[in-house]
Amino acid sequence: MKTFILILFLILSINIRPQDNQFNFNSPDNIRRFADFLFCDRDYLRAALEYERILGISGDDTLRFKIGLSYSCTGKYDYAIKNFSGINYTSFYYDNSKLEILKSNFLMNNFAGLRTYYRNTFLKKVKNFREEGKKLFNFSYLFTDEPLPEEDEFLSPFEMNEREQLTAFYNWKNDPPYKSGAIAGIMSAVIPGSGKMYAGEVSDGIVALLVTGVAAFFAYDNFRAGHTTRAWIFTGLTAFFYGGNVYGSVAAAQVHNAKIKFEYNESVKQYLEENNYYSPEYDFCSEND
Amino acid sequence: MIKAVYIFIFINLLAGIAFPQTDWVKWGKADIKYEKPDNFRHRDYSFESENVSGLVVKSAANAYWYFFSELDGDNCPFRPSCSAFFVEASKETNIVQGALMFFDRFTRDFNLYKRYKRYPRVKDGHYYDPVAMYKLDKNEINYIPPGVVVNK
Repeated sequence: MKTFILILFLILSINIRPQDNQFNFNSPDNIRRFADFLFCDRDYLRAALEYERILGISGDDTLRFKIGLSYSCTGKYDYAIKNFSGINYTSFYYDNSKLEILKSNFLMNNFAGLRTYYRNTFLKKVKNFREEGKKLFNFSYLFTDEPLPEEDEFLSPFEMNEREQLTAFYNWKNDPPYKSGAIAGIMSAVIPGSGKMYAGEVSDGIVALLVTGVAAFFAYDNFRAGHTTRAWIFTGLTAFFYGGNVYGSVAAAQVHNAKIKFEYNESVKQYLEENNYYSPEYDFCSEND
Repeated sequence: MIKAVYIFIFINLLAGIAFPQTDWVKWGKADIKYEKPDNFRHRDYSFESENVSGLVVKSAANAYWYFFSELDGDNCPFRPSCSAFFVEASKETNIVQGALMFFDRFTRDFNLYKRYKRYPRVKDGHYYDPVAMYKLDKNEINYIPPGVVVNK
């Protein structure tokens, strides 16, 4: 009896919950359920690939919209725009898709394309999200060198609680705290290192002043002592350190400006990310919980 | 009963060796190097230059590398190193601008104060300070914040 039970357990351990070959993993319904699972699990790229498998069979706009969102979330904005553009005018997600196209253009840094699309398509065809579209449109001016709109016009789509921050962005863009390379160069020509200090590199400025000063002193001291060869060598070195310091001050001002611009762009992008680029939150996953 | 126990043990052992680990390479001896990656010793000593000034600069750099740097060791905190910076700057601009860029870099090299707050780094820990930042061409400046590790 015991032997029988032992064998029974062994057989059972092998056969417990075996693979059911009747289950069709590749049916459109099951592919969609799997894709939904991947989408809600934020495995967007694989979700998009699974959705695309049934797009030709099912072909509904929700599917295409989710493909667009998936590609947008993985940074493949070209594919995202392609899918959002394919959404039918009668679809529930039509206006959303147009806003997502604006967002994708924004994330691609295609600001000229965003503005063209906003003027030629978005304004003409979209009924909802017009304020959100206008916000992205206005934000695009903060990233390019084109003239800004008037301040009132720029701030008009934004709520009152946003305007303080937006005014700060606007004013910064209008009058960025850049340093002049010419002034930095002239300052360093007069007092070595002072241009670097003006450009924000105080320690570099002090070092430049010391190095140029010490080289000049050695040149002077060697001339005074009658060591003309050494004196001319130090004179040449002084000239190069002096010239390098003037040149470096101009370069330091440019690097400072690049740093300021980078930090500004980062802060604007962070603000937009916190606001999800004015795109609504889509609740595709709660029904799967 | 004893036979049944033997059969049970046999089946279990059989199950254990039915699909044994075949990926022995995975567990084999690995040839790991713990040295910091550095191309310091792999310098280009050629005299290939596009013009006379390039030849002069490259000759000077080669002489410096051969007579001083190789003996002194890898002491420049920047990448490209100051001598390589000079060669590259002269090649990308001209010998006068390259010399000015080099002396500016050399001056900055003297400054030990909080460099980590100003420069990004390359993988081996050196500060990344490329020529493009100092060519006075705004379009070539690609600002990278300090603390970022650059894959160069």
